[in-house]
Amino acid sequence: MGRSNTRVLFLFIAAALILALISLGQYSSSSFGIKCIREGYLVFERVITAPVTFIGHIWEDYVFLVNAREENDQLRKDLTQMQVQCMILDELRSENTRLRTMLDFRGKHKEFTLYPASLLTQDITLVFKTAVVDKGSRSNFFINMPIINPDGVVGKVIGVSLNTSQVLLITDPNSAIPALIESTRIKGIVKGTGAESISLQYVRSSEDIHIGDKVITSGLLGIFPKGLAIGYVKDVRKDEHKIFADILVEPCVDMQRIEGIFGIGRDVAITD
Amino acid sequence: MWRLQISLFTILFAMIFVEASVLPFIWADLRVDFFIGMIIGQIICIPFSQGFPFVILSALILQAFSGARIGLIPFAYILVFLFLDTVKNLVYFENIYTQMVLGFICYLVLTGIFLIFADTPALGGKALPLVFGAVLSGAISPAMISIVCRLQTVYDS
Repeated sequence: MGRSNTRVLFLFIAAALILALISLGQYSSSSFGIKCIREGYLVFERVITAPVTFIGHIWEDYVFLVNAREENDQLRKDLTQMQVQCMILDELRSENTRLRTMLDFRGKHKEFTLYPASLLTQDITLVFKTAVVDKGSRSNFFINMPIINPDGVVGKVIGVSLNTSQVLLITDPNSAIPALIESTRIKGIVKGTGAESISLQYVRSSEDIHIGDKVITSGLLGIFPKGLAIGYVKDVRKDEHKIFADILVEPCVDMQRIEGIFGIGRDVAITD
Repeated sequence: MWRLQISLFTILFAMIFVEASVLPFIWADLRVDFFIGMIIGQIICIPFSQGFPFVILSALILQAFSGARIGLIPFAYILVFLFLDTVKNLVYFENIYTQMVLGFICYLVLTGIFLIFADTPALGGKALPLVFGAVLSGAISPAMISIVCRLQTVYDS
C-alpha cells in the first residue's frame, strides 16, 4: 500500500467523520465533548474577564461613588427637614380641626354670643384647678362668665383684667354648679373634687339614678344657661343611713387637654 | 440691691412660665416648685431685710396664677420662709443633700397646707404627680439656691 493510498484512506475517514458529525443533528451539541469545550471556554472567559470586571467594580463602587457621602448627607438633611415640616403640618392640621370644630360649634349655637379665647397658663398648685386665658374685659369677658368648649362646660370666670381672665374649672374644689340629670330632671349641685371626676351632690338616695345618665346645667343661680352638658354619671353609691347618694360624674370636657374655649356673653336667657 | 431684686424677679417670671405654661403642657398634673429653692437661697445668702420683702412680693405675684383664696399662697410661702429662717442655725443649709431634702419636704408641706385650706380630703389619684413633683422640686432646689447665691456674690463684689 503506497503513500498515496494511505492519504486517500485518511481523507475518507475524515470525510466520514465530518459526515457523521453533521448527520448527528442538533442534539449532538449536548454531547460530552461539546460540554467539555463549553466548560473550558467558560473558564477561559472568566480568567480573561475577571481582572476587567474587578477594575470595573472598583470604578463603580469606589471612584464613581466618591460623591455619594455628600449626596447621602444632603438627603439626610432633606429628610430631617421634611420630617420637621410633617410635624408642623400635623400640628397645623390638628389646630385647623380644633378651630373648625369651634367654628361649627359657634355656628350651631347662634342663641349665645360666644367669645373665643385660648389657654395661657394653668394653676401653679396641684390642689387648685384654675386657668388663665388670653382674653379679658377688653374682649367682653366678665366675672361669672360661663366658660364652655364644644364638649361641654369648662368653668366660670373668677377674675378679669384688661387682657386676661382667670377661669375656675369645674374640677376645682371651690366650684359648684346647679345641675340636673337630663333624663329624669333630678336636680343637684355639681361640685369639684380636685381630682378628674366631679361629684353630684344633694340628690336623695331614693331617686332613680343610673350610670351613664347625662348631667346638664339647670340654669339656676343665673350664671350658666340651661342645658349645657357637664358630664355623665360614672358611679352611684347609696347608703340607707344617708339621705343623699354619693354620685361621681365624669366631665364631658377633658380638663387636661383644654386649648380653645368660649365665653358666653351676657345677652343670654339663662333660665326658662 | 435693686439690680439683685430685678434679677431675682426676672428669674421668678421665667420660673412661673415654666411652672404654669410649660410643665402642664408636658404633664397636666405635674407641678414643680422652683420657688422653694429661691426661698432657701434667700435664707442662706441674702440678708433678711432684703429676702423677706422679696418673698412677700413674689408670693403675691404667684397668687395671681392660682385659684387659691386670696392670701393663702403668700401665707403658705411666708410660713415656710419664717420656719426655715428660724431653723437655719440648727440645720446646715449649705449642704446640697440637705437642700434637696428640704425642697422635697417643703413641697409636700405646701401641698398639705393647700389641701387643708381647699377643704379637699385627698388628691384623688394624684399620688404619682405629687411624688414626681416633690422629687423634682427637691432636685431643682440646689440649682435655684446656687443661682440666688451667685447673683448675690456678683452684685456684692
